[in-house]
Amino acid sequence: MSDPTYRAGFDAALETAINTALQYDPTTRARLQGLDGKVMALNLTAPKLQCCLCIEGDQVRVRQHWEGDVTTSVSGSAIAFMRLLKDPDATPAALGVSISGSSALLAELQWIMSDLDIDWEAPLAQLVGDIPAHSIGSVLRSASSWLSASLSRAPVAAAETISEEWQLTPPQAQFEAFADDLAELSLATERLEARVRLLQEQFSRREAE
Amino acid sequence: MKDRKTTHFGYQEVPVEEKAGRVAEVFHSVAARYDVMNDLMSGGIHRLWKRFTIELSGARPGQHILDIAGGTGDLTARFSRIVGASGQVVLADINESMLRVGRDRLLDRGVAGNVVPVQADAQYLPFPDNTFDCITIAFGLRNVTDKDLALRSMLRVLKPGGRLLVLEFSKPESKLLEKVYDQYSFRLLPFMGKLVANDADSYRYLAESIRMHPDQETLKQMMADAGFVDCEYHNMTGGIVALHRGIKP
Repeated sequence: MSDPTYRAGFDAALETAINTALQYDPTTRARLQGLDGKVMALNLTAPKLQCCLCIEGDQVRVRQHWEGDVTTSVSGSAIAFMRLLKDPDATPAALGVSISGSSALLAELQWIMSDLDIDWEAPLAQLVGDIPAHSIGSVLRSASSWLSASLSRAPVAAAETISEEWQLTPPQAQFEAFADDLAELSLATERLEARVRLLQEQFSRREAE
Repeated sequence: MKDRKTTHFGYQEVPVEEKAGRVAEVFHSVAARYDVMNDLMSGGIHRLWKRFTIELSGARPGQHILDIAGGTGDLTARFSRIVGASGQVVLADINESMLRVGRDRLLDRGVAGNVVPVQADAQYLPFPDNTFDCITIAFGLRNVTDKDLALRSMLRVLKPGGRLLVLEFSKPESKLLEKVYDQYSFRLLPFMGKLVANDADSYRYLAESIRMHPDQETLKQMMADAGFVDCEYHNMTGGIVALHRGIKP
């Protein structure tokens, strides 16, 4: 077993980060209070890590050791788990996440996380004042929105550049038609193989007679 | 001439009946700056050791917890939140100064209602049999004159199935770490004690008492001998500190 000191340090840092962020979103804190006493056991496969998220009042406690009742157990990668929490339409099966116990807690957390709206300007304002904090916040919001839009467009733009500009791959429509033909050929081959096998069996039986 | 029974006080041999008084002097001296020195000496890591202790305690709402040698009330404050209004935490310390500092500090932090401060000797706990669900003693057992007597006393006041957690300095697992730790304890620690609390001797005693404390396996055996079952320990920070846990059958 690894030294519990390091895990305790990691858990303490994560817990502090979560609860500090929650300080600046009163709505989420109020919703969390409705889940007081609920416990989610996380069995993360990548990175390999086990922990329990215990909701106490309007705060989240991160524990490496928990002997009480567990409301919901979730097993999967950290990225899949985060996507599951952030996207209320995501399903565990599609992301390779397995769940045991009550799925209601997960649904509640998905709902809470989808409305998460942390007012980052508040702690910034305490440091630099209201007006500079608002200016910095506006710049950061614009940058974040541009980055998010760019990232969502990036895969399509990259695919177009590779196939249309550089002509390294066939266009998508041509590739899809080729893939359909290939699938049809594969099925036809399998059917032919089955017929040949049937004929071979019939010949074998006749020879035996 | 009649032989007097002796015990160790740091590296010194002192008559058994004198040890409690001399330990008391040390803690009267350091009480006011105990928290600052704890943070300074451990680099704040004592909070992580205590965090793990709380997790292994398995404390629940409504339970009765005894925090022996509770000092300035770090563990008590956290237990108080966990056991809630229906539970109770007894903050016990043999030293009046430490208990007073702990009680005041808890009140300042708004921890009240389910916390009872009691001045008590760990060897002769003033509670009925089978009273507590969990007992913790953090960085206190090494100062107790008769550790076996104290462990038996703790066993008596625990409920069957209750658990004892002993958080204490222990023996580093690696020789290299032990050497570094020795240099730190005997050179840097008394210097910091002199600088911050103007009391090098008390902090020299702390370092010496750590070296005289039983190592991990010995303490585990002592707990088993006292009557605890399923005894185990977790080394923390390379064995500088160990958390022992035993269950009352």
